[in-house]
Amino acid sequence: MKWKKIVSVILAVCMVSGLAACGKDSGKEESKKTDNDSKDVELTVAIWDSNQEPGLRTIMDGFTEETGVKVDIQVTTWKDYWTMLEAAATGGDMPDVFWMHAHQIDQYAEYDDILLDLTDYVEKSEKIKLDNYPEEISDIYIADDGRVLGVPKDVGTSALWFNKTMFDEAGIEYPDETWTWEKFREVAKQLTIPEKDQYGLAMKPASDQESWCSTVYAYGGEWLSEDKTKSGFDKPETLEAMKLIEGIIQDGSMPEYSVLSENDTVALLESGKAAMVFLGSYMLPRLSANDYVRENCDAAPLPVGPKGRCSTNMGLAWSASAGGEHTEEAWKLIEYLGSEKAQIQQAELGVTMSAFNGTNDKWAAYEPQFNLQVYVDALEDDVIYPYSKNTQVWYQMILDKMVSVWDGKRPMEEVCLEVADEMNAYLAEE
Amino acid sequence: MQKSRLTRDWKECIWGWFFILPTMLGLIILNIIPIVQTIYQSFFKTGSFGRGNIFVGLENYKNLIEDSSVWQSLINTFKYAIVEVPLSIVIALVLAVMLNRKMRGRTFYRTIFFLPMVVAPAAVAMVWRWLFNSEFGLLNKLLNTVGIGEVNWLSDPKITVYVVAMVGVWSVIGYNMVLFLAGLQEIPRDFYEASEIDGANVFQQFFHITLPQISPTMFFVLVTRIIASFQVFDMILMMVDRSSPALPKTQSLVYLFYRYAFVENNKGYGSAIVVLLLVIIMIITVIQMIMQKKWVHYE
Repeated sequence: MKWKKIVSVILAVCMVSGLAACGKDSGKEESKKTDNDSKDVELTVAIWDSNQEPGLRTIMDGFTEETGVKVDIQVTTWKDYWTMLEAAATGGDMPDVFWMHAHQIDQYAEYDDILLDLTDYVEKSEKIKLDNYPEEISDIYIADDGRVLGVPKDVGTSALWFNKTMFDEAGIEYPDETWTWEKFREVAKQLTIPEKDQYGLAMKPASDQESWCSTVYAYGGEWLSEDKTKSGFDKPETLEAMKLIEGIIQDGSMPEYSVLSENDTVALLESGKAAMVFLGSYMLPRLSANDYVRENCDAAPLPVGPKGRCSTNMGLAWSASAGGEHTEEAWKLIEYLGSEKAQIQQAELGVTMSAFNGTNDKWAAYEPQFNLQVYVDALEDDVIYPYSKNTQVWYQMILDKMVSVWDGKRPMEEVCLEVADEMNAYLAEE
Repeated sequence: MQKSRLTRDWKECIWGWFFILPTMLGLIILNIIPIVQTIYQSFFKTGSFGRGNIFVGLENYKNLIEDSSVWQSLINTFKYAIVEVPLSIVIALVLAVMLNRKMRGRTFYRTIFFLPMVVAPAAVAMVWRWLFNSEFGLLNKLLNTVGIGEVNWLSDPKITVYVVAMVGVWSVIGYNMVLFLAGLQEIPRDFYEASEIDGANVFQQFFHITLPQISPTMFFVLVTRIIASFQVFDMILMMVDRSSPALPKTQSLVYLFYRYAFVENNKGYGSAIVVLLLVIIMIITVIQMIMQKKWVHYE
């Protein structure tokens, strides 16, 4: 009996002291909230590319130094990023500042209480003038009703990466600006030596942005009509380009599809299995960190088609949450990131090509041993990576269907016509 | 007299409810309300961010019946369950019986078998994904040195679903084993001693004492395992790439739901898929409840 009493007293004391501790904590938090100084604000920033994180960290540190606002960068992989952001937007708990993509902006633009309306901020700002960025990029992030929803962050073009050593061994001249897609196909075949486990090329359905989407436009075809109402997959020019791709697949110039599906194309370049791959400019941090690539590889322009050279161009933007607690600070951060100073820094650090006009010679100089100028030159003959309001639906469908062509199960033309039909149905619903 | 009994009953009733209140609240908030909302949502064509929903009646269900990928996913889910459930139960039971004896290093073995359960599923899947990689994976390197050709573990439509199921078995064995161990401890030792005197061998003991005695645990494991294997999702998402040619023949119903609801933002259709899954799981569980009378022995 006595023991029971003692135990219960001890328990009671523990519980009360626990409560007291709780009280203290909450008291502290309250005091934190009341002196709402910029100094105590911490912004959360969401991005999807871990390659860019170190460089962005440096840039954001500069922002923290200037304003005292701390920044917490959270990386979510591309695969989960939009699930995360959509759920956060539905639940009203978005990160303060985040990357926005053309494939997604229209859905977010539909409501006015999700993305922070930056129109007034931009108008009053001295650092941000939308004229400083390529119009085709900044336009993506302006809603139909004229609201500015994002400040351009970067541009991204594509180039052909090749393994110099393999070219030397085969006695083939390095790719240059005279290469056509046909010539490219020939060389890919020549560089394929299955006994050595060496293949001319690695390209998968999901490499579209870096490779075969550009091919389509270089042949005068299109993915999507200009008014975004009709699929271009049934156009004769598109079919011609896609049949060239089918030819490359049938030549056996690529590793088995199972290998492609389980590995990134860049990993196949890095491991010396593929002589050529197509890569976007945003891959630079990863490539320049790889010793094998530094020693053996270089970049060349994309091959030309009957309608000339063409590279897809895609630029991200910085957007902010409309429901965030610190929208003022969020704008300050976006203003900082979009300013000439930070954009030059982004280029100089080799993070990625900057959106600010004329800053990219600095980016090309970041790694002099690579011919990065081809990416900058590609901005001259670019086409904006196609998008519509509900891009994900048809885009995923295209990738799924292309698998059966890469896998050798179905002919390209049949699949393309099917893609066109389904895409038109989706577009009609938008 | 009458009155005081009534108040006592009343009091008991209130206290009873009071004690199950936390569980009830959890169930209602985390399970029942979402179930009702999901069913409700499956009649809508949903807009982004949960707004702008349009009532479409049974259209999602009509599309679902015509959608061959739904039925293929259902078949995949069954294939997965047929491998995962029996194997994970049989292996776990054998291990449990073996580890129930007094032996050296018993705790060590128990810990080893339980470890996969403690590791985060995402980490498990990532490691297996690398082991199974057709080009750089350890498994194929080993097969190569032995002289057997390479196997496309994660991109051959014929085998990938079973490969994923094997990883599922591996990661759940420890958990089942602990449940069986608990069940085995409950069996009175006298049964075994008595049977020994009667001259029963180890196998006879296993089939005539252990199995019937452990059947309630077995029933619990079976029901929960079947439900869990029908909900398989994370392993597939982590191990099989979106562009894998094996995906159509591997993806489960929940994976398909995830794709429609969260990648393609069609939450209404996704809800319809989940409702289908709910109905199937309910039917199977009801059948099991009826069947249990035939083989589960409660004391």
